[in-house]
Amino acid sequence: MARVAGIDTKTRRHESQALITFGWALARALPIIALALCWEALAASGVVTPFQLPRFSAVLARIWTDAVAGDLALNAALTLYRALVGFAIAAVAGVILGMSMSRSLAVRWLFDPIVSVGFPMPKIAFLPVMMLWLGVYDLSKIAMVVLDAIFPVVTATVAGLAGVDRHLLWSARNMGASEREVVWQVLLPAASPQIMTGLQVALPIALIVAVVAEMLMGGYGLGGAMLQASRFADSRGVFAGIVEIAAVGYALVKAMALVRHRLLIWHQEAQAPTTV
Amino acid sequence: MSVLLRYLPLILLAACWELAARLGLVSQLALPPLSQVTLAWIEMLRSGELLANGAASLWRAGAGLALAIAVGAALGIAMAWWRPVNAALGPLVEMFYPMPKSALIPVTVLWLGFGDGSKILLIFLGCMLPVTLGAFNGARGSDQALVWSARGMGASRLVMLWDVVVPSALPEMLNGIRTALALAFILLVSAELIVAREGLGYLIGYLGANGTYDAMFAVVLTVAFLGFAADRAYQALVHRLLVWRE
Amino acid sequence: MQEHDAGSGGSQIVVQGVNHLYRPPKGRPVLALEDVSIEVRPREFLALLGPSGCGKSTLLYLIGGFLPIETGSILLDRAPIGGPGPDRGIVFQHFALFPWKTVRANVLYGLEKMRLPRKEREQRAQGFIDLVGLTGFEDSYPSQLSGGMKQRTAIARTLAIDPKILLMDEPFGALDAQTRHLMQIELLGIWRRSPKTVIFVTHDVQEAVYLADRVAVMTARPGRIKTIVEVALDKGDPGIAKSKAFIDAVDAVWGLVRDEAIKAQGARVSP
Repeated sequence: MARVAGIDTKTRRHESQALITFGWALARALPIIALALCWEALAASGVVTPFQLPRFSAVLARIWTDAVAGDLALNAALTLYRALVGFAIAAVAGVILGMSMSRSLAVRWLFDPIVSVGFPMPKIAFLPVMMLWLGVYDLSKIAMVVLDAIFPVVTATVAGLAGVDRHLLWSARNMGASEREVVWQVLLPAASPQIMTGLQVALPIALIVAVVAEMLMGGYGLGGAMLQASRFADSRGVFAGIVEIAAVGYALVKAMALVRHRLLIWHQEAQAPTTV
Repeated sequence: MSVLLRYLPLILLAACWELAARLGLVSQLALPPLSQVTLAWIEMLRSGELLANGAASLWRAGAGLALAIAVGAALGIAMAWWRPVNAALGPLVEMFYPMPKSALIPVTVLWLGFGDGSKILLIFLGCMLPVTLGAFNGARGSDQALVWSARGMGASRLVMLWDVVVPSALPEMLNGIRTALALAFILLVSAELIVAREGLGYLIGYLGANGTYDAMFAVVLTVAFLGFAADRAYQALVHRLLVWRE
Repeated sequence: MQEHDAGSGGSQIVVQGVNHLYRPPKGRPVLALEDVSIEVRPREFLALLGPSGCGKSTLLYLIGGFLPIETGSILLDRAPIGGPGPDRGIVFQHFALFPWKTVRANVLYGLEKMRLPRKEREQRAQGFIDLVGLTGFEDSYPSQLSGGMKQRTAIARTLAIDPKILLMDEPFGALDAQTRHLMQIELLGIWRRSPKTVIFVTHDVQEAVYLADRVAVMTARPGRIKTIVEVALDKGDPGIAKSKAFIDAVDAVWGLVRDEAIKAQGARVSP
């Protein structure tokens, strides 16, 4: 009898635990739901014109039609393609450059001022230069993404490698590791949390730059579609574009955080920096 | 001397640029020699074109940023200080933070056209969140001991806010403002490249469309350098403000 | 209960006339060690005792091959030492575990470098994990372990590579006092069952007398060997720490260290 009662209280505790978690999720979603409702109410009230603020429901409907027509998938895929290819190149090249900078004083000396001066520059100003050199198709967009996204990766890699405890390296050598093994089996893994942070900063940058490049150069892609909508005074299209880009941005950040969690499960913190 | 050595690679880069263009290694159209670019820059300075557009750009960025800092800081501190504010606004901040702010360019144009207003609004909306986050984290981290000793000395909550929380929130908030500063330049240039009738970004696009690439390069470098200089100047300012920290 | 014979751990170290100049990134070079000479007998437990900054860790790092020897010589079994290697295993104060590897993976790392067949590697690793009392925690990550457990992992990892001599750099310095005490008892137990040559750096007089056969007292910076004290106590006696002989020994050694400690306090923090 007591055993059965024990099982009962256990399931009840599980249930109440689930309820509490659900309650918290609801509490956090509440302001967002409230915002959506305010949006709808404000748009329907007549205080602003449908042009200035289309109804939330209308925007959602528009996203739906875009999705059904296949436009949403096409544009999103293109933007993601440009952003992710650029990001991948920036990630690999950035880590390699960071590693070279930390191993060779000459390389360090050569690139240090370039990185520290280039970092705070609005590199987007070079977009017309990229267009001049590489045209108005994918290549120039991807090149622009690489230019912008590589800086945080390099900086994070250099900092991460420099911050590795020398005793870790000594231990590895102590146990008979060759220099190559020390670099790839110990140095790089030890720096990986910081390198990962750099990648997490670079990814949203890649997305924004891809979107802006598309806005400037036109054509397909989420940025291009949104700018075209604004040219045609298609305010529903513009708002739909904002929601779509926001959703893509959000999904990318969350995906990256998940990757970090799986790869760095051994790490104490789980810092996920966010975007521009 | 050591400063010169540190920045030598940049000087070397400039030299390579000049040589590569002069020697015809690259098309002089695609990459005009640095000397030519410099001359074009001086010409635009003389004609006032550079200053007029520069002033327009800086005014927009400055106004937008000032608004973003004022509202963002107030918001962040309010969220850290009053629980209900945090409960109401926290999830919204978290949701909007990952959104690429450049996506707001078309909508600000829709509302306010091609002029100053849309740019100021864009920068205000885009740069607010980093400041909010910085102020929030800074205010939350306020040394608990400081707060308690202030309260022990009879300070009212509002006075304590001003005397204790704000100063200790300052470093992180200033860091958030630094992010916002860089972001302001990015948003400004992006918007002006795409949807403007004056300003440095517009000037770049106009010169590029006209084929006067040496002038275009001149303005591109100007903008890039302005962003860099603003960041350095800001860091120096922060250093002076935070002298008491170390 | 696996048998652990002492294996190859019975080497002799001879340090002769070693000086070491510490060159900080900014500031003037400082002489950390001056004309240090000492002989460590096979299978003895030698403590290097001295105040902060006396260079005892530096000496250990020189023996380990992590710092270059500029003057003097260090011989392992009559041959000059090279760079770092598994013949001189080291345990650091802050554990230096690979945080992305589990306990088992950490212990296996050195064994993989020895190119043993897989089954033997895993058996050896498990054996040492059991020896230090971490059975059941093989799949834990260092961030999930307490300080004492981390240090046990580090010790298992180093013992697994069967070094000729064991270097220990204040291994219990980062632990709380109670854990430290327990670890000292355990280490002594492990060592007594299979004695290796051990050089143990510490600033704690009691720890040195409790663990070591001989205690080498170093002077304040620049460090040299001041005196070597023979500790003639029965390590097998579980109540040894309360005996008069022990207390007298601690007293005697403290007398030697005290002046150096005062000197070290008076010295400026950095050159």
